[in-house]
Amino acid sequence: MASSSSTASSGTAAPRAASSGAVRVRRQLPTSPWLFAAPGLLVVGIFILYPFVSTLVNAFTDRRTLIPGEFVGLANFRELLHDEMFWIGLRNSTLYVLGVVPALVLLPLLLALLVQKNIPGIAFFRSAFYTPVVASIVVVGLIWVWLLDERGLVNSLLETIGVGRIGFLSDQWLLLLSAMAVTVWKGLGYYMIIYLAALANVPRELHEAASVDGAGAIRRFLTVTVPAVRSTMVLVGALSSVAAFKVFSEVYLMAGPDGGPAGEDTTLVMLVQRTGTGLTGRVGYASAISVVVFVVTVALMLLVLRADRKEDA
Amino acid sequence: MPRRALAAAVVALALPLSACGSGGDEGGSTDASGKVEGDITFQTWNLRANFKPYFEGLIADFEKKYPGTKVKWVDQPAEGYADKISADAAGGTLPDVVNVSPDLVAPLAKAGLALDLDKSAAKYKKEYLPGAWASHEIPGMEGTYAFPWYLNTGPLFYNKSLFKEAGLDASKPPKTYDELFDDALELADKSDGKVATLANVPTIEDFGRYGVELMNKEGTAFAFNDAKGVELLTKYKELYDAKALDSQALTATPESSGKKFLTGAVAMNPGSALDLGNFKKQAPNLYKNIGITDQITSTGKVNMYVMGVMVNAQTKRTPAAVAFAHYVTDAQNQMSFAKKVAIFPSTAGSLDDPYFTKEDGTDETRVRIAAAKSLKNAVNYTPVLFSEQMKTELRNSVAKALQGKVSPEEALDNAVKACDRLLQQQG
Repeated sequence: MASSSSTASSGTAAPRAASSGAVRVRRQLPTSPWLFAAPGLLVVGIFILYPFVSTLVNAFTDRRTLIPGEFVGLANFRELLHDEMFWIGLRNSTLYVLGVVPALVLLPLLLALLVQKNIPGIAFFRSAFYTPVVASIVVVGLIWVWLLDERGLVNSLLETIGVGRIGFLSDQWLLLLSAMAVTVWKGLGYYMIIYLAALANVPRELHEAASVDGAGAIRRFLTVTVPAVRSTMVLVGALSSVAAFKVFSEVYLMAGPDGGPAGEDTTLVMLVQRTGTGLTGRVGYASAISVVVFVVTVALMLLVLRADRKEDA
Repeated sequence: MPRRALAAAVVALALPLSACGSGGDEGGSTDASGKVEGDITFQTWNLRANFKPYFEGLIADFEKKYPGTKVKWVDQPAEGYADKISADAAGGTLPDVVNVSPDLVAPLAKAGLALDLDKSAAKYKKEYLPGAWASHEIPGMEGTYAFPWYLNTGPLFYNKSLFKEAGLDASKPPKTYDELFDDALELADKSDGKVATLANVPTIEDFGRYGVELMNKEGTAFAFNDAKGVELLTKYKELYDAKALDSQALTATPESSGKKFLTGAVAMNPGSALDLGNFKKQAPNLYKNIGITDQITSTGKVNMYVMGVMVNAQTKRTPAAVAFAHYVTDAQNQMSFAKKVAIFPSTAGSLDDPYFTKEDGTDETRVRIAAAKSLKNAVNYTPVLFSEQMKTELRNSVAKALQGKVSPEEALDNAVKACDRLLQQQG
């Protein structure tokens, strides 16, 4: 390619190149993909690469919103180690992964099995289960806050049946669990669609053969369905674990900007937002937390993919 | 060829990026004495929805008074206002004239983005109440960094029927902190913990109103962990344990506690004359039973909120920007704005207008007159250096004390330590 480029630039070679259609095609091929990719590259460069590199650089500075700051080496990361709120954020984000991911891997699969059958009116249920996915997370959060409020519908029902009111939004752990429930509720439909696509590719003969061998519904699910959609389960696990570790909206809306009572429900991304924004935001420190979030999410992805490869082996 | 294409792509990438970041190195002039002309941008804080005609008229009058000027008005929603300003300030796109509160001015002034009015517009100083003018001074810095605009304060509202149900005399609301705490405990006891009296944990203004010294005189360190501060937090802990403070107070916002008051879950809530209209519209039953009493304070001085109008120090149109900021906040325009909404002018003598002194028998007027009277020696208790991050530190520490995880002393010591650290990091 380098030679064709130098040929094109030499005065003597140009007429020869112009006289040959084949040479002209070869010359233009390497350029045109770049031209086509240029708009995309610009967008990726400006809105993804630049902020990413900028965050990495800022993580090693004491930059604040209105003050450029100076290089401070690993000071931000050292401070993280002694920041109680960072450890609370890390704990909550990790708990979120542990609480949400198994539910989001399994429940949508069961839901997909239910709505997979072609029976009259099933389209209604498929749409209904998908509705939370398209609903705005802000609206979803507000609705659940109203439902779970101390004087909300859920507590009124609980009081009616004699259980008494439960502090879903005032207890640190119940609040986190409530936010997890909302995440699962909102994500069910999305992953159900992914599973529906995977289930459509499972050969019916396998189920029939298992039935002939006397396998019941549960056994067929474990021995036929699960192995057939295992790679989809891994994909769902990877996607949902990254999303769960980066959770922000649900917890922010339900626990408030402080992250619940005494900030005990703060997640890492909430901490990034709280620390790094506003006129007195510590951009450098927030960037350091962002770097930790990035490293952990990449590690989570690798972990899931590695587990998948081991299974394959 | 690909190498050249790659180089072109890098240049193409670098060109737009090179425009990012620096923003406003070219500082504007501090001299406001030139001809008032040119285009300027004016940013307000969530005012378009209710006051569009007022601001359009104001701008039209200014443009008529100063031919050759053009004011572009932008309004930003209340939510995330500080974030919007910080993005504009960092990106060099801060409007020429900006509606701010004192705590927003402080970091902008420190970054050299707010014009020092003591240098550029000192001749206007005498038009304003001295306390209001001083509200935009920044500890550790010389100068004043915004024109004072409207002031606000308000009474304490209470639900008379809840007071009566608890056997309390609804015509004698609490006037002192001791009375407040006693009534709150009684109300919780009589309602079996179902009705709380307050819905918010104590904020920095509450500590100030209780008589706690918030910062040292030099403005270099916080001091709200003194004996009085501990005493207030200990009282709140008693209320929380007795359910006299709402169980969701630890995560409450002013909006959520306002809703609790509307629904009768909470017996008392601070507010302003503006709220009476809301009660009438949204909770007619509450409106029939609404009680109005003065803010409770141990200092004799109520809390007031101050709004300001700042001039961007990097504006290219300093004379026009200063003239417009003054025009928006002058006595005539503030008075006209005050008659449209329950706010109070910060200009000297305006509060003596019959509108703020003459009773007409309505609750609205009674609240307005009482508030205007109290404003004459009111204090903005929120220190201008008290950032959002510091407010979070205080709320979280207070919450830990109320939950019993740490003692009130330890909670306030921790909060002061964290706020001092943030103060030093602010530079």
